[in-house]
Amino acid sequence: MDGQLLSATFVELTDTMVDDFDIIDFLHVLTSRSVELLDVSAAGLLLADPRGELRVVAASSEAARLLELFQLQGDQGPCLDCFRSGQPIASADLSTDQRWPQFAAAAQQAGFSAVQALPMRLRDQVIGALNLFRTTAGPFDADTVPVGQALADVATISLLNERSVRRSDTLNEQLQTALNSRVIIEQAKGKLAERLGIDVDTAFTLLREQARNRNLRLSDLARAFVDGTQAITGPASGSARSSRPGTRQPRPGPRPAR
Amino acid sequence: MTYIQRRGRVWELVAEQAARRGGRVSAADVCAAVVPGVHVTGAWLSAARDGQAGHLMQVTDELSRQLAELQLTLGEGPLLDASASNGPVLASDLADAESGVRWPAFTAAAGRAGAAAVFAFPLVVGAIRAGVLGLYRDRPGPLSDFQLGDALVFADTATMLLLDAQDPAAGDMGPGAGPGGQPAGLAWRRAEIDQATGMLTEQLGVGIADAFVRLRAYAYANDLQLASVARDIVARRLRLSPDPDLSLRDET
Repeated sequence: MDGQLLSATFVELTDTMVDDFDIIDFLHVLTSRSVELLDVSAAGLLLADPRGELRVVAASSEAARLLELFQLQGDQGPCLDCFRSGQPIASADLSTDQRWPQFAAAAQQAGFSAVQALPMRLRDQVIGALNLFRTTAGPFDADTVPVGQALADVATISLLNERSVRRSDTLNEQLQTALNSRVIIEQAKGKLAERLGIDVDTAFTLLREQARNRNLRLSDLARAFVDGTQAITGPASGSARSSRPGTRQPRPGPRPAR
Repeated sequence: MTYIQRRGRVWELVAEQAARRGGRVSAADVCAAVVPGVHVTGAWLSAARDGQAGHLMQVTDELSRQLAELQLTLGEGPLLDASASNGPVLASDLADAESGVRWPAFTAAAGRAGAAAVFAFPLVVGAIRAGVLGLYRDRPGPLSDFQLGDALVFADTATMLLLDAQDPAAGDMGPGAGPGGQPAGLAWRRAEIDQATGMLTEQLGVGIADAFVRLRAYAYANDLQLASVARDIVARRLRLSPDPDLSLRDET
């Protein structure tokens, strides 16, 4: 493992947390850094919703297929087992693993051969899991578990930032706010994708860029864009199209003022 | 308990209330059902159209009415904070120091009136805001994890019922109804549903709440799963037209 990258990553993550940071954006960065640092192909974070399921809150890539694969683990897979046991769960070779047939098939179809899930723990409670995928089979690097666990712990801490942890209700409040922010961002991705004729992954990248440029929190910009109080334009190249080939539907009438 | 089981059970409790009342299921029934459902003393429900102030729709007792009105009069309280942050505010002991600092006037007045804990749940789906559900207890104490899970699903159910009731286009859908008599649109787990809702704001030239209602109405009218309609929209195989009778499916 690259020691310099390791320290740079933790400095970056902890630096971000002191400001009024956006939790979804932060967790997206955390999953992206997990991929670089741990030499894995994809990383995702699932949080336990008290409603009774695990929900994806961030991933290193917003590719729909990948998000779905992470979410599938709400029903079956290493993430669910990790959440229930509070212990790291790994599969070095999904092609021979009998534990989660449905998940293993879907993961392999998406090109993944090995998986590792690490618990997000707060005292005696497990609040979610960090999930790592690799395209090649074989055991994970010796550093993967301790460093991955440290990243999972940072994710846990980030959820508790705003107010004192002494209040037992704080975590649940933060968790629900984070989950709803995720929904706002999905709504904004859809609206932007439709407006500019781009795919939803590109829309996410554009939203993040614009939030940075305007010094706004990602969730705040997403909400303002959905509410129609902030406009977002396409990339500077002017590649945005007002209509796409193959759509037979005329544009709807005048839109509400933005 | 899984989400699906919980959702089914909560819906049964709400439907029981409607049957007892002899009417169609409405958000008011959520208010009545949530009180015994999560062991609180009373509940109230305010409806809000996106961006506009809410109006008190339902209360289960006089103290609930007072708590709702107090916050509006004083301009502070857990429900106002819940609406502002779009996350629940769980004040399990109004007499504790944190609550006192956060809402000095409200905690004093609420305490005198006889409330010891207040739990506020914004009725939201992402940027969609349908109102807020307030619960109170006459004794301090947090909602258990189990009760919190139930309370969130009661709130989800109220959200769907309010959204349906606000939109005349959803009239023939039956409030909160979905295929199989289950409340539709509660399949949070599919990011495509949220993405499709965002896309529909552009296709239909409407706000996010109306887009969501139209998405659900289309799924219901065509007897399709919400997630599969959403997937078709995101994959651009289906576009909805501002005229509900003219939706186009691209069969390519």
